[in-house]
Amino acid sequence: MTVAEQSFTPPPGTAPIVQLKGIAKYFPGVVANENVDLEVMPGEIHALLGENGAGKSTLMNILTGIYQADAGEIIIDGYQKEFATPMQAIAAGIGMVHQHFKLVQAFTVAENIHLGWSETPRRASKAVLENRTDELAKRFNLDIRAGATVSDLSTGEQQRVEILRVLAREARLLILDEPTAVLTPAEARELFRALREFVAEGNAVIFISHKLDEVMEISDRISILRGGRKIATRQTRDCDPHMLANLMVGREIVLDDMRHRAEGAAQVSVEPVLVLDNVSVSSESGGNGLANVSLKLHAGEILGIAGVAGNGQRELSQVLTGVRSASSGQVIVDGKSMKGANAAVFAAFGIGHIPEDRLHSGLAPALSITTNAVMREYGQAPVSPHGIYNPRSAYRLAREIAEAAEVAIPDYGMPVRNLSGGNQQRLVARREMRIADKVLIAAYPSRGLDVGAINTMLRYIVELRDAGAGIVLISEELEELLNLSDRIAVLYEGRIMGVVDNDNLDIEEIGLLMGGRTAAREVA
Amino acid sequence: MFGSYRLQRLPSSHAGIALAARVAAIVIALLVAGIGIALAGMNPLNLGARVITASFGSAFGMEDLGVLIIPLILTGLAVAVAQQVGAWNIGAEGQFYAGAFAATAIGLFVPGEGPLILMLMFVAGMAGGAAWILVPTLARAYANVNELITTLLLNFVATLLVYYVSTGPWRDRSGMANSATPPLSTDVPSFWGIVHWGFPIAIGLAVLVAAVLAFSRWGYEVRLVGSNPSAAKYAGIPVRKHLIAVMLLSGGIAGIAGMLEIAGTVHRLQGGISNNFGYLGIMVAVLARGSPIGVIFSGALMALILNSGIILQTQGLTTSIVLAITGFILFLTAIGDELSYYRITREKA
Ligand SMILES: Nc1ncnc2c1ncn2[C@@H]1O[C@H](COP(=O)(O)OP(=O)(O)OP(=O)(O)O)[C@@H](O)[C@H]1O
Ligand SMILES: [Mg+2]
Repeated sequence: MTVAEQSFTPPPGTAPIVQLKGIAKYFPGVVANENVDLEVMPGEIHALLGENGAGKSTLMNILTGIYQADAGEIIIDGYQKEFATPMQAIAAGIGMVHQHFKLVQAFTVAENIHLGWSETPRRASKAVLENRTDELAKRFNLDIRAGATVSDLSTGEQQRVEILRVLAREARLLILDEPTAVLTPAEARELFRALREFVAEGNAVIFISHKLDEVMEISDRISILRGGRKIATRQTRDCDPHMLANLMVGREIVLDDMRHRAEGAAQVSVEPVLVLDNVSVSSESGGNGLANVSLKLHAGEILGIAGVAGNGQRELSQVLTGVRSASSGQVIVDGKSMKGANAAVFAAFGIGHIPEDRLHSGLAPALSITTNAVMREYGQAPVSPHGIYNPRSAYRLAREIAEAAEVAIPDYGMPVRNLSGGNQQRLVARREMRIADKVLIAAYPSRGLDVGAINTMLRYIVELRDAGAGIVLISEELEELLNLSDRIAVLYEGRIMGVVDNDNLDIEEIGLLMGGRTAAREVA
Repeated sequence: MFGSYRLQRLPSSHAGIALAARVAAIVIALLVAGIGIALAGMNPLNLGARVITASFGSAFGMEDLGVLIIPLILTGLAVAVAQQVGAWNIGAEGQFYAGAFAATAIGLFVPGEGPLILMLMFVAGMAGGAAWILVPTLARAYANVNELITTLLLNFVATLLVYYVSTGPWRDRSGMANSATPPLSTDVPSFWGIVHWGFPIAIGLAVLVAAVLAFSRWGYEVRLVGSNPSAAKYAGIPVRKHLIAVMLLSGGIAGIAGMLEIAGTVHRLQGGISNNFGYLGIMVAVLARGSPIGVIFSGALMALILNSGIILQTQGLTTSIVLAITGFILFLTAIGDELSYYRITREKA
């Protein structure tokens, strides 16, 4: 990373592309934004940082016409603007790519690009649309297959389609809300290249992320929100990750030593608590599935699962938690085969599950926070003694979970989708840790969390290990895996390429395994 | 300076505005109907007054209303229950007929009278309704076939089946009625004029269903299945089992409506006995926004509208205009619901 290259000073007298003045947004019981000023200059990548719930997504939703500000103004090219819909914002050159994509899965890439666009030719044939899409892709240098159906695309490809959708509509400001949370490192590099080309032509990008290294690498300036207010705007070259973290939280963040075992912590058990015996799982949507996977998890240890996303991680976590049954082989918990058991049976055994896509499988977004918080314990006292569901006890349990998760909630009756992304993640994680007496399957547990919250989350996982639970930690962050795991297994195209001990571990070997090459000693 | 006004879409609708929009929808529909009646050369105010006195001014009027409410609450409840699990039951009409058919079979062919037969008829009505939705339910649960179409298509089968038996094999041979079965010997007893015990049963069922959904473990699971099936699966809830149970319950409730209609109100089976109650139930459920308790009120409203129609008919208007008004109210309500997501802002010029 060469910080010197990135010094950013627009020529004097340059007008900002967008100017926010005194923006405020209040939700019942929450100040989401207050008195926020922000200027985005042509040619810059402007990072927006802040803790979970600091108001980043809300601010961008205001700028793109999804929400309307309660106070303040949006000024574009010197004129005050008000956007009632995202369409009006895009007409003014402001487009956003959300963390949860809004593409029509059953349509082709070309159809998605042309959907709801005034410049789409009337009565155009498929071939015409695909040609136009190819031209656009070439013009913006994005690698896209115009004829492919969206549901067949990888996450990275879908994101490129979203970006092209925005760029094709002549956007001058592109807003990306946590774009790299779901990308592989290679895809992230590809994205950064495209962003640099985009701003080189005098456009601008607002980039929201919790990954400080990445923000240091890609951004020119950084603005920081705390509690809905803007705390500071700095040149990136004057910043370092440590100081950014302090600005965001308002206090020092001390990273814990995670591998250290506390005094009196549980020892790694001799007998495994959870065993996968030659398990195969067919894939759902053109993914990899699992092929003859055998794994042993002991109580009191953390088993890391490394690998590029999409190599069977989803199937692995699902088969380990009873959400999906194995097509062959068996899952054994405490020596007992779990054949025919569903996810509720696994949970009753003390197996918690932080799923990889909280919004689609871990939560019912339209139902209340209470309903979602009690999803694991609704079936037992105190929530429903004798089958009678007691809303008051449910509320009390929800409050207990939210307090442990350090999420402030003004109204437990509101739909859980109103919580910020990171707060949803915290809630799901605490809910699962409560029941994980025996095993916790954690898929990307720190996804979407701010730096402070990641540290807290990992500390809880370590405490769970010290209390004698076995933990499977699925992650793409090698650093996180190295920090926590006792052993690391590498997943590639649905197979376990090898399991290595963290104590005498060779990072290069892990890299090779992740790329699909078998460890040298295993080659025949 | 006024600037220009603009509509803004809000991320969520405001309950108060939604209710106001609903009331406005009904008022506007009545106004339009009034204008139509005036153009037809009659005095809408006069007619209106007559409708009100006929409905509420006499015990007879109130009784008519009370009898109409029963099937409307039940078919509305049937549709609303299915919505809870994320299914659209467009087939309440057919299940109504199937329930009436099965209950009539008991009434005609099982010897005896009294409470035991009545109980049998009740159970048969429920089973008939549930049986009528069985195939669409299994098709949806196991092959993901859209229940919207399958339930709708079976309506025509049930309608024709009832026409056939009531004018054919089961027809009254005593010569009293040509196109109906003989009168049933067992009735649902009345407790107030012609209003029978179906009335408290309908309201009781709606309250019971609402209570079970809100205050039982099973109800919690059903709500989760209806809201996000993948989350339900993740929580280990048997999605398919609940879908099947709730859809059968929905059919069963519509079947009860049919049973109560023949055993409490009409006392014999005949073609056309449903009076479109099954389809009106969809409207009742939509007006109630899928809430089982709300169905009691929207069912009462719908009964009032239908009853007004019958009164207007005696004043020389056709039923078509009444159906047109009902349709219009629903149409305006849908628009009102959508509008409750918007607010008007003034843009500074
Ligand atoms: N529609 C809504 N109704 C009520 N509260 C809301 C709504 N949308 C957001 N909030 C609240 O506003 C606050 C800011 O949320 P926002 O999503 O902007 O946070 P964020 O900075 O994007 O956080 P994260 O990093 O976790 O994504 C949170 O407390 C959130 O619960
Ligand atoms: Mg956010």
